[in-house]
Amino acid sequence: MPHSTKNPFAKKQSSLEKKEKTLFSLFAFCTYFIIICASCIFLNIIWNGTPVLMQKGLSFITQKPETLAVLEMAKSDKYQVPSENFNNLLKSNPQEIPIKSLSVSEKQFQFVSFKIKQGSIIGDGYLLNIEKDNPGTHIKFTERKSPKLLGFNLENDKQFTLSKKELSSIQKNDPQLIQSEITEKKLSLNNKKVTIKAGEYPISKEAHDSLLKSDLIFQMKQSFPDDEPDKINLTVIPHDQTITVSSSVFYSAFDDEDASSPLPTTSIENSPFQKTITTFSLPKAHYKVSPETLKILSNHGIKHLHNTDLGSIVINEEIKASLTLDKKAYTQLIKDNPNLVTSDTKEHQESLSYTNFSIEKDCEVQLNASDLDIFSKNPNFKPSSKKTHSYSGGGILGPIIGTACLVIICMVIALFTGIAAATYLNEYARKGTFTKTIRLAMLNLAGVPSIVFGLFGLGLFVMLAPVFSNTPKVESKLHIPIISLGSPPELRTMEAEGIVAVDPDLSTSQAVATASTQGAKKFHNGYYYISFQGWGTCMLAGGFTLAIMVLPVIITSCEESLKAVPMGFREASMALGATKWQSIRTAVLPYAFSGILTASILGITRVAGETAPIMFTAAVAEKSDLPWQGIHSSGFSAFIDFLQQSVQALPYHIFTVAGRIPQSEYTRPMQYGSVLVFMIIVLLLSAVSIYLRNKVRGKIKW
Amino acid sequence: MININNVSFSYDKGKTEVLKNISLDIPEKKVTSFIGPSGCGKSTLLRCINRMNDLVETSMITTGQIDVMGQNINSKEVDPIELRKHIGMVFQKYNPFPKSIYDNVAYGLRIQGIKNKKTLDQAVERSLRGAALWDEVKDRLKDSALGLSGGQQQRLCIARAIAVQPKIILMDEPCSALDPIATAKVEELITELREEFTIVIVTHSMQQASRISDHTAFFYLGELIEYGQTDTIFQNPSKKRTEDYISGRFG
Repeated sequence: MPHSTKNPFAKKQSSLEKKEKTLFSLFAFCTYFIIICASCIFLNIIWNGTPVLMQKGLSFITQKPETLAVLEMAKSDKYQVPSENFNNLLKSNPQEIPIKSLSVSEKQFQFVSFKIKQGSIIGDGYLLNIEKDNPGTHIKFTERKSPKLLGFNLENDKQFTLSKKELSSIQKNDPQLIQSEITEKKLSLNNKKVTIKAGEYPISKEAHDSLLKSDLIFQMKQSFPDDEPDKINLTVIPHDQTITVSSSVFYSAFDDEDASSPLPTTSIENSPFQKTITTFSLPKAHYKVSPETLKILSNHGIKHLHNTDLGSIVINEEIKASLTLDKKAYTQLIKDNPNLVTSDTKEHQESLSYTNFSIEKDCEVQLNASDLDIFSKNPNFKPSSKKTHSYSGGGILGPIIGTACLVIICMVIALFTGIAAATYLNEYARKGTFTKTIRLAMLNLAGVPSIVFGLFGLGLFVMLAPVFSNTPKVESKLHIPIISLGSPPELRTMEAEGIVAVDPDLSTSQAVATASTQGAKKFHNGYYYISFQGWGTCMLAGGFTLAIMVLPVIITSCEESLKAVPMGFREASMALGATKWQSIRTAVLPYAFSGILTASILGITRVAGETAPIMFTAAVAEKSDLPWQGIHSSGFSAFIDFLQQSVQALPYHIFTVAGRIPQSEYTRPMQYGSVLVFMIIVLLLSAVSIYLRNKVRGKIKW
Repeated sequence: MININNVSFSYDKGKTEVLKNISLDIPEKKVTSFIGPSGCGKSTLLRCINRMNDLVETSMITTGQIDVMGQNINSKEVDPIELRKHIGMVFQKYNPFPKSIYDNVAYGLRIQGIKNKKTLDQAVERSLRGAALWDEVKDRLKDSALGLSGGQQQRLCIARAIAVQPKIILMDEPCSALDPIATAKVEELITELREEFTIVIVTHSMQQASRISDHTAFFYLGELIEYGQTDTIFQNPSKKRTEDYISGRFG
């Protein structure tokens, strides 16, 4: 065959080649685009976040978020603060502070440890102070009583101006109290009698507030928002009224010149009257008076910690724990509460090391809010300016713990339900329209935006879900009485949660009505109810919401991994006389485990990062306690209480610091630090899970 | 031992029958082999005997009944779980669980709730000896069963089946995935097992059937063409179709 000289494979269409090349570069660019984006994001976060972590160190993940105070400090002053707080000061400042003449001194403090005897009577505020100084104590009480005498301390001589009625009451109850001369004075005051016609009128917030004290019957069409003090709203006056008002109310609501939008009046009359006021003085001393007198005096500026409205607390339960107070507070406590009996009183000294320093030149100092309290006890402490930046100090311990709790609760629920559902779908259910419908529903569920899950969780878990309780909420959607059992909770809980005990003979609807007329939030009538009142904003609600959100992912991947287990295992197991569940448990699920692990990795990383579903259901921006702190119950009910805690969560915290608080240069480190830590946690989590999965996979092969 | 009486079977609720009016009696402690071309229904019939076909939801026996040890196995009083404890099965593809050799053999006993270590040890040794595997694996009982060779794995499956001490062992083409040497070992094992168990084996290999079985049944398109002593079937078949199949003229 003769060879033609022409090359049969010569390039012919150069345009095609160009097209090929263009397409190649386009595709390549699209692929590299991912890497470019990823490295931009990662580098940015690492670049900005690392310095924050370096500066704050471990304290960034061991401290709770705090408000940061930025102070302008003047040159040189002698400061003395506890060494611990001084170290915090150094840690919370990124740049060096010009500090001079450091010396450490010891300070002695006197403390008294004591036990409270049964039957003691103590004022509310005193009890709270004891609990504050003795973290972990929670004193229950079941009774309140007004003792004959209550003590208070008057630090300076004080003059009192009382009405005649008040004075006579004091003289009746405590005839010995007033030793000084009493002067009487007659005052002429002018009230106004005004007539208003029915109708709708615009009024300002100021007028509204003053009218609340008067006898006028009116109804606002809208309420006044807090952030718009100058807003004018419409009020409805249902019928013609003639009322007598004091002049201050008159000038703020009816007068043309003073009020911003005066109410029109048809007639104004002066109605002068006379009032007798009395004046006397008390020298500085410690006094013991009756509760009635104390109530009157506290309306005129006496400071004390008794609760004169509800009465003092009677401690019926034995308190075993030994309590400690500093000596001054203890003396005051004993003086103010004549009916408090203590035993096992022991005095002891504690020394605390203090650091003395002075500031060399004017500078800016950053301080966490908790340290600021200690610093401001220093008499020299007079910063020339003070600005606070919320969430910019401290660390992110709360959000980390919160996210961990949410993820654990969510995964427990989601994995249990998910594996059960996948097993049912793959092993038990007939293949047909039913399973097809379920798969379709699942696909749709996977496509629902996460904010919708948040709202769904809010509606279902936070506001509607059933609760088994003997103190159901009044506003619950449905009360189903179950069993008559148990005694009412102790008085302290009832007061704190607004529980009202009602007659057990009343029917449920009557009980609800009675309680709501008394303004109660919850009621107790001896019955345990299943009450559809919702769980409130809590971890349990958040966990369930997140679980529903990841369920499609979990079910789908669990089903895939179940499908991957060879049919032969099931047959072999069944042929050996295993029941269906036995063969699933022993011959299917163990070998689907690695796939289920993969599903949980996907789930955990997604759940940990979601903001929208927990926004309404579990997360709060501000919470000083970790979820297990501040729970006073024990055993199983403590666990339930734990689940009912709201938490801070990392993604929500980032959302808060990045978008919901005023931005400043002090909030930026917090943003980047949080994001970096969050990313490290998620990456670590994935790494651990992938390692685990590979380990399991290596073991099981077929 | 197994009396199959006029059985028809369908996988799709009676629309098409894959078995048509099969009747045969399988004698005790003998090896009976089912032969026939693919799709002739021999595996289906085998799976009817221990009701493994229950796993296919739409399957049903349309006519006839199967008696095992004198009891109609499809009656309502029969629990298929209990039935399967008495009828062991070995599958075409050897399918040991990805567990240790010991756990594989002990599996059937464990799901019956036997936890006593001594009983399990004895049963495992007895079954492995019974499956002629003991000497090969006695030193590595805790090793994964997947580390064994194909033939060993299949014999392990047989050991697993005999561990629960069934009366009958069904074998669904047990040697089709094995090489000739492994096949020879399994065949040898089957011949030994005949003394203790009633064995029903489905096989594609006519040589295998002639080597190991006492009785042979030839199926074609869902019908039982011929059933009798192996020697008779292979040397003097009464039906023309049997002869054609055996001599390799079709199939």
